[in-house]
Amino acid sequence: MIHIEGLHKRFGAVAAVDGVDFEVPDGQVTGLLGPNGAGKTTTLRMLYGLMHCDDGRMEVDGIDVARDPQGAQARMGILPDSRGLYPRLTAREHLRYFGQLQGVGRSMLEARIDELVRDLDMSGIADRRAEGFSQGERVKVALGRALVHNPNNVLLDEPTNGLDVLGTRAMRTMIRQMRAAGKCVLFSSHIMQEVSALCDRIIIISAGRIVAQGTADELLAQSGHDTLEDAFVALTGIDEVTR
Amino acid sequence: MNAVLAVLKKELIDGLRDRRSMMSAIIFPMIGPLFISFMFNTVTERQRESQDVEIPIVGAERAPGLIDWIERRGYTVVEGPLDPEEAVRDGTVDFVLIIPEDFAGDLAKARTAEIELVRDGTKKDAGASIGRAHSLVESYSRMMGRLRLIARGISPQLGQPISVETVDIASERQRAAHFMVFIPMYLILAAFISGMNLAVDTTAGERERHSLEPLLVNPVSRLSLLMGKWLSAVVFSCAGVALTLVSLVLAMRRVSWQELGIQLNLGAPEVAGVLLATLPLAFFASGAQVLVASFARSFKEAQTYISLMIIVPMAPSVIAQIYSLGNEWWMAPIPVLGQQVLMTEVVSGEPVSLLSYAATGLSSLVLGLLCVWVTARLFTRENVVFGR
Repeated sequence: MIHIEGLHKRFGAVAAVDGVDFEVPDGQVTGLLGPNGAGKTTTLRMLYGLMHCDDGRMEVDGIDVARDPQGAQARMGILPDSRGLYPRLTAREHLRYFGQLQGVGRSMLEARIDELVRDLDMSGIADRRAEGFSQGERVKVALGRALVHNPNNVLLDEPTNGLDVLGTRAMRTMIRQMRAAGKCVLFSSHIMQEVSALCDRIIIISAGRIVAQGTADELLAQSGHDTLEDAFVALTGIDEVTR
Repeated sequence: MNAVLAVLKKELIDGLRDRRSMMSAIIFPMIGPLFISFMFNTVTERQRESQDVEIPIVGAERAPGLIDWIERRGYTVVEGPLDPEEAVRDGTVDFVLIIPEDFAGDLAKARTAEIELVRDGTKKDAGASIGRAHSLVESYSRMMGRLRLIARGISPQLGQPISVETVDIASERQRAAHFMVFIPMYLILAAFISGMNLAVDTTAGERERHSLEPLLVNPVSRLSLLMGKWLSAVVFSCAGVALTLVSLVLAMRRVSWQELGIQLNLGAPEVAGVLLATLPLAFFASGAQVLVASFARSFKEAQTYISLMIIVPMAPSVIAQIYSLGNEWWMAPIPVLGQQVLMTEVVSGEPVSLLSYAATGLSSLVLGLLCVWVTARLFTRENVVFGR
């Protein structure tokens, strides 16, 4: 479970995150939806401990991120915005390295790696070096290493970025599986269809503030529009800017 | 601790598979020794050549005593050209000695006999062989002079009120050490170059590959991560130094030092001493490189900074050489300079105290750790992590 309260972050004169509160419950998929530059990535970076917040409070499974960032990181599986691999390591070695950094015991780690290779359909690339991997194969490895310690909370920053149709479908299946396993899943996206197809709850963020949150139906009712896209445009106020 | 080992292991595997890293750790140690064999073999060759100088003499039959004197000193006397001046001018010979007809007569009458030396003053490179011919005749003349005095019952010392005796206090081994200044220099460079690629690849490289952010979200302290990365560069650096030393020793075994007039003793104790002196430098070299590379956004940028940085640690030794400073106590803890002083002592066969090893080694270790600690602090800053 993730709990965020009164989160603020400034870069110079720009308020990138300007008072964000939300909660992500276990066993649900929550989507952080917003246009580019809305503050999604900054919010996630503060949550996984790579950026300091100017003000506010963040908890992961009851652990205060500011006070015990490593404790919180151990309870999160994170697919960050940048997901570079080591070209000279194999897929399996990537998972093993991150498992060791997460402190997973040796015998348990090997079993978990086999499990992930199967679940993420990586058997063809498991023992190949990452050098020539396709975009889809890269994302699989990046996701695999994020989940190697079987975390309760999963943070995905624009997980389908750069994926083709097949890759996107595989990602969606993974996300649904994680929900079925009772995990707390938070992912960010700027693609309407993706969020509406997957999420139990949607949080719409714009210019560093939350402008609306709820289920898809609640958001439609709130905006008074018929489609989610219209609702999104109306709620974020992109509309006014483009005109 | 487990995390440090995990990072170290991963970076070593990664480095061993990287052609660039392996090249810098293997090629560099090989170039120096090859160069040395070539250089010294050329020097010995030259020295051998300069020894069999031919001395062209016109009228050799008029001075059998002098010819005998010259030939007994290992030189070859040849018949001088018919037209000495023309031969010297067109360069067939460097010089010609001409013995006049009344040479033997003058000697017999105890007069000063003259020998003509024809040379071309504009030809600078002939200086050495002319000097040798000149001094051969001079020494023959002195010997004859002494014999004349003795024949008249006078001590030859009367005719030589002052004599200068040169006392060279440098032992043969010290002279060799002086000759060997490039060995410490080369080993020091090896310490910097062999681990460089890893130091860059594991820091600036992570940023360039966009793998830094995923790495940093693991519950591991920045210090542990950087310790692992640093130690992997240290391992490569040490391996490079050891490899350099081994190939240097192998190369130097093939040089005939006796012919060069140098007694070089590079036995097991000296090699061990040099290794003990240099290896700790790897801690400092890699630490400083990790720190500098962390400021760079790309691999190339980091390499530029680091190649500039190699000059900085070299500065103290250059200054020490310019002011020809000896071995001062404050030199030991300065990286590079300390190692250089220590190695020179080892190679010249002076007894080196354990304290010197400890002071030099510990200082490099501590300074290396300090660099890593500062880098770890840097990596907690958002602008460093995200390269803003």
